[in-house]
Amino acid sequence: MKFTHHDLFTLLIAIGTMLIVARLISELGKKFKLPGVMGELIVGILLGPTILGSIDPDLFASIFPKTGATKIALDGITSLAVIMLLFVAGMEVQLQIVLKQGKAAIYTSLTSMVIPFTLGFCTVWFVPEWFNFDNKYRLVYALFFGTAMAISAIPVIVKILMDLNIYKTKVGMTVIAAAIFDDLTGWLLFSFILSLMGQEGEVTNAWYSVSMILGFGLFMLLIGRRVIDKALPWVQTKLSWPGGVLSLSLGLCFLSAAFTESIGLHAILGAFITGIAFGDSVHLHEKAREIIHQFVTNVFAPLFFVSLGLKVNFIENFDLTLVTIVLFLAVVCKLVGASLGAYMGGMSKRNAIAVGFGLNARGAMEIILGTLALNAGLIDEKMFVALVVMALITSIMSGPLMKRFIEPD
Amino acid sequence: MTFDLGKLKKRPSYPFETIAAAVGFSPRLEALVSEAKRLSETLNAKLLLIHVGEKTAKKEDALSKMLSKTGMDMKRCQVIWADGHPVETILSLCKQHVVDLLMIGALKKENLLNYYLGSVARKISRKAKCSVLLLTEASTEESKPKKIIVNGVENPKTIHTLNAALYLAKNYSVKDITVAREVHMPTLTMTMADDSTAPEAREMKKHLNEEESSRLLSMIKKSDTGKIQVKDKMIGGKPGFAISKYARDKKADLLVINSPDTHLNLLDRIFTHDIEYVLADLPCNVLIVHSRI
Repeated sequence: MKFTHHDLFTLLIAIGTMLIVARLISELGKKFKLPGVMGELIVGILLGPTILGSIDPDLFASIFPKTGATKIALDGITSLAVIMLLFVAGMEVQLQIVLKQGKAAIYTSLTSMVIPFTLGFCTVWFVPEWFNFDNKYRLVYALFFGTAMAISAIPVIVKILMDLNIYKTKVGMTVIAAAIFDDLTGWLLFSFILSLMGQEGEVTNAWYSVSMILGFGLFMLLIGRRVIDKALPWVQTKLSWPGGVLSLSLGLCFLSAAFTESIGLHAILGAFITGIAFGDSVHLHEKAREIIHQFVTNVFAPLFFVSLGLKVNFIENFDLTLVTIVLFLAVVCKLVGASLGAYMGGMSKRNAIAVGFGLNARGAMEIILGTLALNAGLIDEKMFVALVVMALITSIMSGPLMKRFIEPD
Repeated sequence: MTFDLGKLKKRPSYPFETIAAAVGFSPRLEALVSEAKRLSETLNAKLLLIHVGEKTAKKEDALSKMLSKTGMDMKRCQVIWADGHPVETILSLCKQHVVDLLMIGALKKENLLNYYLGSVARKISRKAKCSVLLLTEASTEESKPKKIIVNGVENPKTIHTLNAALYLAKNYSVKDITVAREVHMPTLTMTMADDSTAPEAREMKKHLNEEESSRLLSMIKKSDTGKIQVKDKMIGGKPGFAISKYARDKKADLLVINSPDTHLNLLDRIFTHDIEYVLADLPCNVLIVHSRI
C-alpha cells in the first residue's frame, strides 16, 4: 500500500484538529476542575462516530478514514503514544517511597491491590452472567477485571493531594506510595494477562510468560538501571541538551518495547520497566524529566485519548447496568481495600477512609488499560465504555470525598 | 552475654561518655587508634578498643606498642578481646558497655558484591543501637573537622541529631555548621506536566519549598545552638543522595545524619534510598546519630 499525497494531507489534518481541539476543550474543562483526559475524550466523542459520524458521516470519513494508509498511520501513532505513556508512568514508579514510608504504606499498598483484585476476580468468576465474554477466556477475563479494579492513577491522585495541601503529609505520602505499588503490580499483571491472550491460558505458556516478565524485570531493575545511572551524567553533559537525553530515553523505551513484543510479551511491559529504570536514576535532571513528560503528555497523550472516541461509539455502547456494576464494584473494592490497609497501618478511621477515596481515582491509567484490553479482543466495547465512565467518575469524586474525611495533620 | 537494655532506652544522643573503636590488625590500625584517642580526650570520654578475633601474644604485643606510640592514657582506655561474628559481637559489646559512640574505619566505596552483601562497617551502621562514626580518612595527624553538614530531614529524630552535631562542634570549637534539608517531590513532575500552567507549576514548587524551609527554621530554633552559627540550606534531589552529593561538593569534613528508621535489608540496597545512598559512597567521615527515642 502506498502512502499518497492525499493520505499525508488527511493525516496532518486529523492530527492538527485532534491536538488543537483537545487542548481548547481541556483548558475549558480545567476551569471546572475536570481532569484533562476528560476533555480529550469528549473531543474524541465529538469528532468520532458518536456525534460527527452521526451528523455528517461523509465529513467524519474524510477526516478520519476507517480504512487505508491514513488509518494505519494514525493507529501507528496511537500505538507509539500508549508505549510512551507507559514509559512516563514507569518513570514515576519509585519503589523506595513504598519502602521508606513504613507500615501504613506497606499495608495500604498490599490491601489496596489484593482486595480489589480478589473481589474483581471473584465477581467475574462467580457471576459471569453480569459480563459478556467468551467462556474459554473466563480466567483471563477474571484476571483482567481484577486488575482493572486494582489499578490507580498517580497524576490524578497527586493533583488532588496538592489541591488539598496534603501532598507532603503522612496521608499524602501513604496514598502516593500505595498508588505507585498498585501501578507497578497492576501493569505487571496486565502484561501477564495480555501474554496469555491467544494462548488459551495454557499453563506452560503461563509459566513462560511469568518467567520472562520476572527475568526481564529483574534484568532491567538490577543491571539496566545501574547502566542507565552510570550513562546519564555523560549523556547530560557531553551530548546536546536536551536532545541527547530525549533521544536516549525514548530510544531505550522503544528498543525495550520491541524486545518484550518480540518475546511474546506486550510492548508496554518493556516501556514501563525501562521507564522505572530510567526514572529511578539519581542523575536524571529534574528539567530532563519535565521535558520528557511535557513532550509525551501534551503531544502524544491527547492523540491517544482523542483517538479512543474515534474508535468507539460511546452512546451506542453505553450500558447503564454494566456501568453501574463496574462503578459500584470499583468504588467498594478500592475503598474497602485501601481504607482497611491504612487503618491496620495505624491511621485514624477518618484518615483511612480518606486514603481509600484518594486511591479510588483511576484516571488515564484505567482508560489505557481498557484500550489495550479492547485492542487485544479481551473485552467488548460496552465494557470499555463502562471502564472509561468509571475512570472519569472515580477521578472526579475522589477530591471532594477525600476532603470531607481528611483530618488536619 | 546479658545487658540491661533499660540503660540504653531514652539515653540522650549526647554527650558521648563512652566511646568504642572497633579495631583490626590492618595498616589503618595506628590511624584509627590515634583518632579514637584524640576524640575521647576532646570529649573527656572513656574509650574501649574492641577487637574481635583470636587473642595472641603477637597481637597483644603489637597493640601494646601501638598504644604507647600514640601516647594513650591507659587509665581511661580498656582493650576488649572477643571471639565470634564480628558484627554481632561488636554490637553486643556496645550494648553491654552502654557505648554512646562507636568508631569504625570504612572504605569510601565498596565493590558491588560487598555492597550488596554488606561489609562489617556498613552492617554495623544499619543495625547499631548507638551512634556510629564511620572514618573514611583516619589519620595519625591531629585534625579537627572544620566543615560540618547535618541532614535536616523532617523526622522527630533530627533535632537530637542536630544537637549531637552542635555538641561535637562546640567541643571542636567549630564556628558554624550547615543544616541541609533535601526537597524531593516524587510524581509531581508528571502531575504538573498534565494540567498546570508554567506560573502555576512555579508557584506550586515555591510554596512547597517555602513550607519545607519554614519547618527547617523552626527546628533549628529549637536546637541548642549556643554561640555556633547554624546555616540552613535547601537542596533538591533524592533523599540520601542529595545530602551525600552536597557534602562531597562542599568538601565537608563530617556529615551528620539520623540512624535508619527501619530495619534495612537487601531490598533497601537494591532500591537504594536515604542512608543507603550515603553508605554506597561515603562522601567524607559520617556520623550516624542514634537518638534512642
